[in-house]
Amino acid sequence: MILKSILARFKQGYRTGTFPTKTGPKLPPAFKGRPKLDATLTAGELAKAAEACPCSGCLAMRDGVASLDMGRCTFCGRCAEVCSKIQFTKEYRLAVFDRKDLIVKAGEGEYTPPANPKAGEVKFLKRSFQLREVSAGGCGACELDFNVLGTLAWDLGRFGMKVVASPRHADAVYVTGPVSKNMALALEKTHAAMAEPKFVIAAGACAISGGLYAGSEDVEDGTAKTLPEPDLFIPGCPPHPSTALEALLRFVGRSSC
Amino acid sequence: MLSFVNGTPVSLEAIPTLASDEFKSIFTAEDFERDRKRVLALWKLPDGRLACVLGNPATHKLEVGATLATTYQPLRDEVPALHRFEAELRGEENLRPFMPLKGEAAHEVAVGPVHAGVIEPGHFRFQCMGETVHYLEIALGYQHRGVEKLMVEAKSDARRMALAETVAGDTSVAASLACARALQLPHAPVPLLNLALELERIANHVGDLGALAGDVAYLPTASFCGRIRGEYLNMTAELCGNRFGRGMDRAPMPSDETRTHLREWFLRTGKELFHATGLLFSEGSAIERFEGTGRVDAATARRIGLVGMAGRASGLAVDSRVDFPLEGEQTTVPLCGEEEMKGDVLARAGQRQLELLVAHARVRRLLSGAGAKTSDETPRKRAPRTLTVAVVEAWRGELVHLAVTGDSASTIAQYKIFDPSYHNWFGLAQALRGEQISNFPICNKSFNLSYCGVDR
Repeated sequence: MILKSILARFKQGYRTGTFPTKTGPKLPPAFKGRPKLDATLTAGELAKAAEACPCSGCLAMRDGVASLDMGRCTFCGRCAEVCSKIQFTKEYRLAVFDRKDLIVKAGEGEYTPPANPKAGEVKFLKRSFQLREVSAGGCGACELDFNVLGTLAWDLGRFGMKVVASPRHADAVYVTGPVSKNMALALEKTHAAMAEPKFVIAAGACAISGGLYAGSEDVEDGTAKTLPEPDLFIPGCPPHPSTALEALLRFVGRSSC
Repeated sequence: MLSFVNGTPVSLEAIPTLASDEFKSIFTAEDFERDRKRVLALWKLPDGRLACVLGNPATHKLEVGATLATTYQPLRDEVPALHRFEAELRGEENLRPFMPLKGEAAHEVAVGPVHAGVIEPGHFRFQCMGETVHYLEIALGYQHRGVEKLMVEAKSDARRMALAETVAGDTSVAASLACARALQLPHAPVPLLNLALELERIANHVGDLGALAGDVAYLPTASFCGRIRGEYLNMTAELCGNRFGRGMDRAPMPSDETRTHLREWFLRTGKELFHATGLLFSEGSAIERFEGTGRVDAATARRIGLVGMAGRASGLAVDSRVDFPLEGEQTTVPLCGEEEMKGDVLARAGQRQLELLVAHARVRRLLSGAGAKTSDETPRKRAPRTLTVAVVEAWRGELVHLAVTGDSASTIAQYKIFDPSYHNWFGLAQALRGEQISNFPICNKSFNLSYCGVDR
């Protein structure tokens, strides 16, 4: 039996991906990453694109500038289908540390992902970062693609990161879903049970803003009403595993294993 | 009862209103058993009548009838398959007090709503005598987001399609197809659609076989399948850009080059997959844990109305693609349950393996075929005051979306979703009766039902 398992291991081969240690991620040709809005995008064109958008308040004029809120965006690409001045780039490094940074403004220049402003505070997490996941009303896709990081294809463990079964063991709570009213108390209790210092990660459009479900009377529109302001925002619907992994690494200040 | 084809609209006026006795006889008449009819939906129409949709495999059509809500007598004692629908009609909360087991050796085990791993929330309450589970109650309301209400309030069909894709993240493709048909909207060309549906089915079965292996501590298959599942998600993303098939309704037919690339990738992955699952099925100590565990026999399965993969594993011949096909969703290879299927964990694992083989053959064919139509050209038009029921065989089983239009065709007066899990959660509770509590994880994984799909 043991021989068979060893043989099987040889047959299947070593399959942990090279991202992020050696190479960039392998993204599909139609991958939709960080949106880019042309500087000439007018209020009228934006309003037309917003009609095609399934979310509310994603595309809007903010301070007189056309903008897109990645905290609401499901990256469906419907706006880009009707307006050629909106494009989705291949940029997968979407995570930010401040809610304001999720707003993509028209005519922005070269993008560099921000560094964690709390770098000093999280230094101790660099070699050991324990996460408690709470699914709060999600469709399961964010959860599934976060789970994927635990498989041998991504092997989260090599970065000293692990999902733990108790909030007592966790450094951060990783929240997915729009926080349904029926899950708010469980989420609040999970966070309360964690030892200080503790961090909040909002992953996916739902956890950040309520996403497609924002405004439903049965949800709390993300973590805002239940938990302190998140320390890390990972946009997407759901975030691609490379987006989530890169976010966690940037959060603790690591670039490879 | 009014007979109609899956996915076609019927006028609300044409739905017959039956007297209370007549309505009851739908379920008790001889042909209900003989023709293996099954209940797809029972709900309250906006006009106040109670409507019931049955699937009839004998005629390959659906049937609808209504009765006055005021005279309806609950039928769950005679027809246990109705119990979930009737609980919803009564307005019974999903989060309600549990029924405790009393006695000296009786004790209760409570699990959830937050799962110890990375899974959706649900609460399981086991009433035990020692190690043995007397019965299990499952509370699902934690995932309630009010999808059905949002579908009605939505300002555009684009928003409805986007919502449908997120009802249950692992069933996005099937749900978007069901929604498109219920709302008479265009979807992807048929060959692309079938390809996407099969990739969704494969990815989920692979993940679950891996999880089952993990739960009996057989790690080779668990590790390999975890990785291999990702390959199928990536193939899906190759078609539409999203690993869960979101936006498949707007995706173009893959080019010849993409298809050749996918075919090569698919064949290579298939070899790795069947090597990985073959290991599990040839491992005596793993199979020994599956055999006879969590059994739901055919008679029970039929009574409680199990559908899809779990139903087939209990020996029921239930496959909506064969029984009442939706246009473009037909299959020439029925995934019918065989009588020797025992309805235990081993049968559900075996059924998944069988479906993987069938799906693989189908995808190979689809990837070899020349590029067919480039768009969904079937003209569809939504009419006012109609009911449209669309049943799609998702990977778990039949997924029912139904839409009632208002006085204008653009308004949706009612939208209902019945996920296969709606029927099958009670099957899991049934599988646990008299079972050791330590066998819960493998029983649960063998069904792998959706929490969010039942947004109640």
